[in-house]
Amino acid sequence: MTVSERHVGPLLEVKGIKTHFFTQDGVVKAVDDITFAIGHGQTLGVVGESGCGKSITSLSVMRLIERPGQIVAGEVLLNGENLLAKNDADMRDIRGDQVSMIFQEPMTSLNPVFTCGDQIAEAVQQHTAVSRREAWDRSIEMLRVVGIPDAKRRAGEHPHQMSGGMRQRVMIAMALSTDPDLLIADEPTTALDVTIQAQILEVMRDLREKNRMAIMLITHDLGVVAEMADEVVVMYAGKVVERADVRTVFGSPHHPYTQGLLRSIPRLDERRERLEVIKGTVPSPLNLPSGCLFKRRCPHRMRVCDVAPPYQELGPNHYSRCWLTPAGEPPAVGAEAQGPEAEQAAEALTVEPR
Amino acid sequence: MVTDTTAAENERRRAEEAEAESADIDRTPVRTYWQLVRQRFMKHRLAVFAVIVLIVLATYALVVPVITGDAWRQTHLFRDDAPPELFDGDGEFTFAILGYNEIGQNLFARLGKATQTSLTIGLAAVVIIVVIGIFIGSIAGYVGGWLDNVLMRFVDIMLSLPGLFVILMITAFFGQGNVWVIVLAIGLTGWTTAARLVRAEFLSLRDVDYVQAARALGASPQRIILRHMLPPAMAPIVVAATLGIADSVVVESALSFLGFGIGGEGASLGTMLQNAQNYFFSGPLKVLYPGLTLILIVLSASFLGDGLRDALDPRQRVDK
Amino acid sequence: MATYILRRTLQSIPILFGVALVSFAIIQLAPGSPIDRFRTPNVRPETLENLIRLYGLDKPVHEQFVSWFTAFVQFWRTEAWGYSLVDGRSVRDTIVDRMPATLLLGGTALLVTIILAVPIGILAAVRQYSWADKAITTFATVGYAIPSFLLGLYIAYLGTVVFRGAFPSFGMVSLPGSEGRGTPLDIAWHMVLPVTSLAIQQIAGWSRYVRAKMLEVLNQDYVRTAKAKGLSATKVTYKHALRNALIPVITLFGLTLPGLLAGAVITESIFSWPGLGLLGLTAVQNRDYPMVLAFVMVGGFGVVLGNLLADVLYGVVDPRIKY
Repeated sequence: MTVSERHVGPLLEVKGIKTHFFTQDGVVKAVDDITFAIGHGQTLGVVGESGCGKSITSLSVMRLIERPGQIVAGEVLLNGENLLAKNDADMRDIRGDQVSMIFQEPMTSLNPVFTCGDQIAEAVQQHTAVSRREAWDRSIEMLRVVGIPDAKRRAGEHPHQMSGGMRQRVMIAMALSTDPDLLIADEPTTALDVTIQAQILEVMRDLREKNRMAIMLITHDLGVVAEMADEVVVMYAGKVVERADVRTVFGSPHHPYTQGLLRSIPRLDERRERLEVIKGTVPSPLNLPSGCLFKRRCPHRMRVCDVAPPYQELGPNHYSRCWLTPAGEPPAVGAEAQGPEAEQAAEALTVEPR
Repeated sequence: MVTDTTAAENERRRAEEAEAESADIDRTPVRTYWQLVRQRFMKHRLAVFAVIVLIVLATYALVVPVITGDAWRQTHLFRDDAPPELFDGDGEFTFAILGYNEIGQNLFARLGKATQTSLTIGLAAVVIIVVIGIFIGSIAGYVGGWLDNVLMRFVDIMLSLPGLFVILMITAFFGQGNVWVIVLAIGLTGWTTAARLVRAEFLSLRDVDYVQAARALGASPQRIILRHMLPPAMAPIVVAATLGIADSVVVESALSFLGFGIGGEGASLGTMLQNAQNYFFSGPLKVLYPGLTLILIVLSASFLGDGLRDALDPRQRVDK
Repeated sequence: MATYILRRTLQSIPILFGVALVSFAIIQLAPGSPIDRFRTPNVRPETLENLIRLYGLDKPVHEQFVSWFTAFVQFWRTEAWGYSLVDGRSVRDTIVDRMPATLLLGGTALLVTIILAVPIGILAAVRQYSWADKAITTFATVGYAIPSFLLGLYIAYLGTVVFRGAFPSFGMVSLPGSEGRGTPLDIAWHMVLPVTSLAIQQIAGWSRYVRAKMLEVLNQDYVRTAKAKGLSATKVTYKHALRNALIPVITLFGLTLPGLLAGAVITESIFSWPGLGLLGLTAVQNRDYPMVLAFVMVGGFGVVLGNLLADVLYGVVDPRIKY
């Protein structure tokens, strides 16, 4: 924690990272110029449909991108230090210690041939100078913390002897055993039953308060975001399309995609015949449309959408990548926007019909 | 701008927008199943190469024995271990580009005949394997219950037999040297894998909606099996059969090599290899010819099998 | 565990019974009779009658089978498996005599296979797409495709012609009168070529399998978890991945056993190795029916034992399997 006390500013700053996959069929820009920040003890929700680059973003922060993927640009600053510039050994010291991660699939994320206690103790021993005995005691303590009854006996069990919810608790215990500053949780509750989901979120909230830990919560479930997050980043096809605090996102979402996501969750306070869905699917990363990536599915589609929209600042800490004016109106010809993008746009809007 | 647009202009704009829309949608071309199969297969360079090699070998096996006639078994007194030639001393076309063996037989012609014999035996054995495999496998998979149990225990028993040795036994006891005994011996012992494959496919297809629908409509079992269940089960069968050709050719060669196969003056890759043992010292290349041919057949068949598996089975990953 | 082994053993009895039935049927269906070899002009008809009665050939087929099978299962008795039609020796004793040579050859080949194939497979997987991986994959594909008898033939050729007899390609010991005949060193020297020819194909198959399993495991979520913990690449590969990859490889061990016996028929005939395979081959050539039947039964027993061993070992190494 000494480092973070010296460092002024957010815990994690992600600046313009691009993670591309060089496949046989072409370059897949899974993450394309993403920027966000997480403050100490803050929770950031990263939302979007599957395939929009959320998980790749989190793996990029951990530098766990495998070939043919590669982080080609940007910076990941943890307490002001660029993780992308670190050597492998230094990066390993950070992984699992300052930054921990839990994954979507509790059923397959634990190694089937080792006991749960061993797997937690391994993380502890990796990052702290303790004896085997102490590491084992720590793992039992952590299992207790995440609410596993009869922790002493459970520590000696193999993953297959536990339910999905229990395994996710073990994963959390493992991730938190080293008191990380940041927990990256990639769809931690998606694979679980609803009641178990609530319990796991409860555990995470609890531990966040106790440890003053920041969380980067990746999910496609806006309900989870509403419950957990302070700030929200909405991703679409590898880009951030809207970024704001949680109140703004739910109260006055600007981007049509965010609006669509919100309309597709059931609400108790409204009587609706049917839930709306966003038409179509996320475009193939090898066949992205020109201009706005969302235009094919957008209800407000305009001709100007063939030009890449600007990333407008709509208010304090509220950004949206859309041509609609802050009030949600179609932009007028020669709108106040400036720069080459705006000029292109103005041209697109004024083109004479053939 | 909006107010003074006429109806015609409106119309035109709408048409233009529709055009833009259609130009903008996903342009991944739609392909039929066979086009996809072809595309996936052609991507498998080794498999394509294997097809070419197999075509060349088959042509060789079919054409050379026709051109050279009886040359594969004619012995020439004064040409033992003679070097390669195209024409003999009298200017007659011999096509002996691989030379002669220790008893003066034209090796090129003999290798052609041997390839023909081995491939024929391999293909014939695979036909038996596939027929028995489909028969037993489809009954076990379609009927299920105790019959399935009995048949599968029988398969277990067949798999517990020392295969090559049983084939040796059958050929030795039922008429050594007879091509058809060899074919039967390989076929009757080799169907177990095919039967298991077909059974597994049928078990998974039994509860599929369209099969249940056919049953509900009162289709007869034969019709359900032949029309609805066998076609989708064909992909793994074709793959297994391709690999089966390689296995059968190898077994035949091994039999002949051990002295239990093609008898008399007959030529197969195995008998040629057995003879080759005798001229280890005099002509090492002569050991290579039939051996290389055999390896080419086996490698090509296995690459072809791999290629077909990737191309035919739609449940396989398309490509990463 | 004990009950599981007992249950699996009981389950394999009907299989072995079926093996006996099938092999007996083949011999019954074969044209000719076991005593044909004695039908020469010098043998009196009464003697033939006696032989027929001696072998029980006058009884109905099912009785013949029952008496053969009941005698066969009493393997502790010298006469249980009958007597050879060729030399009149007890079949059981002959097989027991020849067994060690085959086990020595097959066991050594298996050992060599494991020692070489596992590291090779791991190397290929860890360095996927490197030149080492490509070389190994090519070797494995070609080595697996070359028929074992062809490989044996070429290796014998290498030994006798290319290396000018540096390694013997005939028999298990040197010729009588040679110095050091029958010493362990002498036997080991004679084993080099046959073990090589048995092992190459096995190494090819095993290393391919180990590579595939290792690649599969390296893509598992728990390997990513291990990396996310901050473990080093070595620990991730050799602790977390390898332990899982080796579980299915264990089953190969059981499945390879019977394969080595089958391979013995060919290898032993090429290198004149005085083991079971050569014995079986001569028995078929001589129509030595009791010997042939015993050989098939021993082979079937090898398969069943191999499967049993594979299942039991799997249970030992995989914590997910409880009996």
